[in-house]
Amino acid sequence: MGVSVGVDVGGTFTDFVVCDGVDGSVREMKVPSTPGAPAGAVAEGFSRLLAEGIEPGEITRFAHGTTVALNTLLQRGGARVGLLVTRGFRDVLVLRRLRLADAPGFHVRQAPPLVARRDVREVDGRLLADGTEVRPLALDEAVAAAADLVADGCEVLAVCLLHAYRDPAHEQRVGEAIRHRFPELHVSLSSEIWPQQREYERTQVTVINAHVAPIMERYFSDLEKELRQMGVGTGILSTKSSGGVMSAARAARRPVETLLSGPASGVVAAVEFGRAAGLDALVAFDMGGTSADIGLVDAGGARISTEATVGDFPVLLPAVDVSSVGAGGGSVATLDAAGVLKVGPRSAGAVPGPACYGRGGTEPTVTDAYATLGVLTHLLGGQVPLDLDAARRACGELGERLGTDAVGAAEAILEVATANMYARILPILAQRGVDPRELALLAYGGAGPTHAFRVAREVGFGTVVVPPSPGTFCALGCLLADLRADFVATLYTDLARLRDEELADALRELHRQASAWAREEDAPGASVTFGADMRYRGQSYELAVPLSSDLGEGACRRAAEAFADTHQRVYGYADPDAAIEVVNVRAQLLAPIAKPSLLHPGAGSARPDASQAERRTVYAGGSAVTALVVDRSSLVPGGQLEGPVVVTQYDTTTFVPPGAVVETDAVGNLIGRFDD
Amino acid sequence: MTELATRPAGGVLVEVLRNQFMGVVRELGQTIRNAGHTVFVKETSDFGAYLVSPGGEVFMTPDDMGIFITIGTPFATAIEAIEDYRDGDICVTNDPETSGGMVTHLPDVFMWTPIFAPGSDRPLCFAFCFIHATDIGGLVPGSVSPGATDMFQEGFILPPSKLVAHGVLNTELAAILRANTRVPNLNWGDFRAEISALGLSRRRMGELVARYGAETIAVGIEGVLDYAERQARSIIEGIPDGTYSFADYLEADFAEPRPPIRIALDLTVRGSDLVLDFSRTDPQVPLALNLATYGKAGHNMLVPGLVNYFRSRMPDITYNSGMVRPVDVVAPRGSLLNPEPRAPVGARQATMFRVPDVILGALSQAVPDQVPACGGGQGAVMLVAAPEFDTGTERVSILQPLIGGSGGGPVGDGIDGVDFVAGFYRNIPTEVLESDVPVLVERYELRESGGGAGRARGGLGLAFSVRVLAPRATLTCRGMERTRFQPWGRSGGQPGQPGTATLHTAGGTVRELGKIDVLEVGPGDVLEVRTPGGAGFGDPLERSVEAVVADVADGFVDVETAKDRYGVVFTGGRVDRAGTASLRARRRSRQVGRPRPPFDLGPERTRFESCWTPELQDALNAALWRHPAGLRSLLRDLAHRRLDGRVGLGTPDVGHAGRRGTPLAPADVGPVVDAIVDDLRTRLYR
Repeated sequence: MGVSVGVDVGGTFTDFVVCDGVDGSVREMKVPSTPGAPAGAVAEGFSRLLAEGIEPGEITRFAHGTTVALNTLLQRGGARVGLLVTRGFRDVLVLRRLRLADAPGFHVRQAPPLVARRDVREVDGRLLADGTEVRPLALDEAVAAAADLVADGCEVLAVCLLHAYRDPAHEQRVGEAIRHRFPELHVSLSSEIWPQQREYERTQVTVINAHVAPIMERYFSDLEKELRQMGVGTGILSTKSSGGVMSAARAARRPVETLLSGPASGVVAAVEFGRAAGLDALVAFDMGGTSADIGLVDAGGARISTEATVGDFPVLLPAVDVSSVGAGGGSVATLDAAGVLKVGPRSAGAVPGPACYGRGGTEPTVTDAYATLGVLTHLLGGQVPLDLDAARRACGELGERLGTDAVGAAEAILEVATANMYARILPILAQRGVDPRELALLAYGGAGPTHAFRVAREVGFGTVVVPPSPGTFCALGCLLADLRADFVATLYTDLARLRDEELADALRELHRQASAWAREEDAPGASVTFGADMRYRGQSYELAVPLSSDLGEGACRRAAEAFADTHQRVYGYADPDAAIEVVNVRAQLLAPIAKPSLLHPGAGSARPDASQAERRTVYAGGSAVTALVVDRSSLVPGGQLEGPVVVTQYDTTTFVPPGAVVETDAVGNLIGRFDD
Repeated sequence: MTELATRPAGGVLVEVLRNQFMGVVRELGQTIRNAGHTVFVKETSDFGAYLVSPGGEVFMTPDDMGIFITIGTPFATAIEAIEDYRDGDICVTNDPETSGGMVTHLPDVFMWTPIFAPGSDRPLCFAFCFIHATDIGGLVPGSVSPGATDMFQEGFILPPSKLVAHGVLNTELAAILRANTRVPNLNWGDFRAEISALGLSRRRMGELVARYGAETIAVGIEGVLDYAERQARSIIEGIPDGTYSFADYLEADFAEPRPPIRIALDLTVRGSDLVLDFSRTDPQVPLALNLATYGKAGHNMLVPGLVNYFRSRMPDITYNSGMVRPVDVVAPRGSLLNPEPRAPVGARQATMFRVPDVILGALSQAVPDQVPACGGGQGAVMLVAAPEFDTGTERVSILQPLIGGSGGGPVGDGIDGVDFVAGFYRNIPTEVLESDVPVLVERYELRESGGGAGRARGGLGLAFSVRVLAPRATLTCRGMERTRFQPWGRSGGQPGQPGTATLHTAGGTVRELGKIDVLEVGPGDVLEVRTPGGAGFGDPLERSVEAVVADVADGFVDVETAKDRYGVVFTGGRVDRAGTASLRARRRSRQVGRPRPPFDLGPERTRFESCWTPELQDALNAALWRHPAGLRSLLRDLAHRRLDGRVGLGTPDVGHAGRRGTPLAPADVGPVVDAIVDDLRTRLYR
């Protein structure tokens, strides 16, 4: 095995993790991002690697996560989409699911749809829910409408016809005719993108795909060209929102699958490092400058959601279940008109940044609070000293208005920021039906390890885990992700009416699609598992139920039993007399890849010598205490330290408060627990 | 116990506990939402979650799930109805009367649990929740029948009782609950969700008490309520002192012609206090439209509109009942907004959606640049009942919530297809609908040109056409409104288009129905409903030409409307800039010197009020109030029959002294009502 390179393209830095398959070494590198042309930073990183002596031919694996699709969507900077819909449903994107986002003031606005109404055309032709054609497709009309849209300036087309999840024939005929007429034009068909029932959500993912596809195609073709020029010939893998990877060629065609791949990669890494620590139920906690991402991991791996939202839009495709909380290191503390302390959601950003960055910021932030308390003194492994006086000044001014000193104000900022997270995290856990006491908190990102113990105590997590390289965790996740693909078909029927062979046929068809995928992606050793979304009749929510791969006689009975088991487990009862409905069936393909060793070579050899270690005064719980300050690389497995401890490393600082102990495990995780 | 929380200034404690309470109550809501089984929970979000102070005030409720009409819910009477709270109790009620207006119709089954500090026998606070149960008995499946004439036709009534006492389920009461519904399993699934969610909140609040101490929590509860109160008062102080009056109407003529029902408000601002005086509102009706508020100050169903206004002025206002502490309410017993006990209330949402329009109309005179024009003001939900082939039983399903567009306002155009006050509804995907129910949806889109013209255009209503595929089916659409009296425009803005209902029969005939309540349809019949558009705000001639051109390109406005209403001329599909400039100039010159009325109420309402002036309506109500509440609605109908002709409205009631031309003075109305009563007595006892 040669050299594997994992890359995470972020807003500020493009992170590299390089694993040498021969000697097992792992190292990290941060290259400033080039937001205008994101492929530039990736190419720059590779040229640095080659300059360091890696031969282009040695690089046998390159997996990377990019925010190109996500940013294109959030900025609505993609192609102008023309949309063809079934007659009578022109406003499917405007009406969405009607409901406003929150208890409205009169200034609430719905985000404008991704496709202007003028670029939506209706097509005659109608199927019923069972696929019966009640009105024939007006193919000529559809092609004329498409030509019209192109003439009006639409750069790509999307097609979503009612009930195409059941029978894609109408859509396929429209797609063929348009592709024949405009061979260069990108066309996304809903039945190809994600054939699941629910027209708004399906139209939305189809339109998103079309909107970002040309940008992604260009990005990958730029990147491939640059790498080829350097002699790097390995194929590019792209991470997916589902926590897997796929080829860049597929990602260029189906960019909608990459929207949430950034946070997903972090959770993938969290799964592996959690397992290494013997923890399979945890919350992945990625805290950066402006927000914190919360992802759930259980025995089955990363939790998958089919109700993700990206910006203003729902995304039906399976995605690692990550929720964002608007609180980060840069969150600004202010007093409102009534004298109540608020922290965030406004962030000081990179410029001016927290007061202690010395770039002109004067408002106190979460980072300033930690600087005032003595926890943070430097950034980037000591390269950038913080302006501690500026932090104390900012907190002190706030303190005057609160009737306390700088330290009191700093504690108050952290208390409020943490309560804020509590308010967000608790319902997220409730929605997934898990109890924080049974979970560990695995913290990464620049601010995660600093804040983790506070969050853990507030929400009630039992254990805190800080992986070896919290700052490049997502890039490492790219190398830990398996090839993965998901397939869906909507049945929407009473289980009692479904014949065994009908269920088996539906699953076989999904298996066929999965096999074709595996062939195209060159994924030997792939395994396929089945599942279904089921409910009792009258219920409004489906449960995801694993289905047996035995497709022989009794398939429906086995499905019913699996559903009853799941329902019993989730809701505490099963009703043997109630009718069961099967809404969707699903297949998941997984092809494991050889993963680099998690062993962290940076884990040094010397046990920290308490007599030699630096000590400094920090404030915890309002009083001054003397904390041990240790370098992360000096920690070895087995050693145990009692808080207060400040653990410093290149890209983050871990604060272990009084009352907590940490030790290092075999892969270099810091494992923290509370004494009490 | 964390001493920090109590040590610094109150502003820190308030924010810390505010967030923690928010976490607990969101978890409560989320748990109900997860485990609640029915369409009401998922599709119409008809559930609520609350943390409630010992005094009965909501100190925290989610602002992002459930119904958005939770602030001000009066809990005190229900709390006091149970005498001996013990740890682990879960109480239940669906009775408006004995809960003092906490419940406003029977399907809303409320449950609550007391939260104790260790060693204390007085509850520190309560967690409450409710779910709209699918069926609670009564005349019709679903229990909501607009034609119900008393509450006993609307289902089973359960005064506050302990469903779980000290952790033990009262199985007898559970059996009673199961016995009084058409869908015991579905209901029990919902109730179970409420019970387990409340248990979780009890545990969570217990954790907070353990961490901060009961005293700090108690201080925090008052603190967050005070905080919201201070914020609301600071907003009210920005409203000029004075009394602002406005009225609006329910058509309520779904079953038979009847005079519109008026909700009248005199809104008075004095410093940071605000009074909502509904004294001039019409009497209660023998229809299920009454709103059982028990006249409670700041009642959650009498303050929507105002709460929206607070949120608009201060988007992060603390979301609890402290907000409505400055709000007093006057709603006389026996009126539509405070009926006598056991008056029918099931379909009160039509009334609930009109109250905010009235508040908005009053506010817009005080702070014209801070509130929008009137929205569609309708929260109708269309249902279909059709026999199931497998079982032969009739299955009732929701087709779609049919709401209007929102009004244009100072910050921009109204929202298309969604009204602020009905913003909690979710629609149902057509693909799901057609899989569930034997219908074909021909059309579900925006109603083009339906929004009122204005500098800010009103949001478009919806157009929903459904073809029935079953041999027979019943369509019901409860709460259709504003098919005559349009959403009113503001400051030169024009009214939104009224709602319509049209039946295209399989045989090819077309019938304009106006509105429907219950409609039998056959295979192939198509019912098309168009919902009201939001009204416009500001002079349409002031709307930028570009905005009108964009609206035309998108089909939101047609070329004729662009010319007639906005003065924007199109020739051969292109805007004619010179023609537009001269047309707009001509129109403007015609407006010079003419004062712009604050409201454009639309022709139907204007005509009605030119006959039945507000003064005459006040006089009629004053006369009616001298008679028993149960009789007033009947007397009102008879008075209208007798006087409509005389005031110039419709056909005179022949045989009575109602000849057009004799002007009716307010002083004449009382004697007419007395004469009607005399007539009735004579007829009865003759």
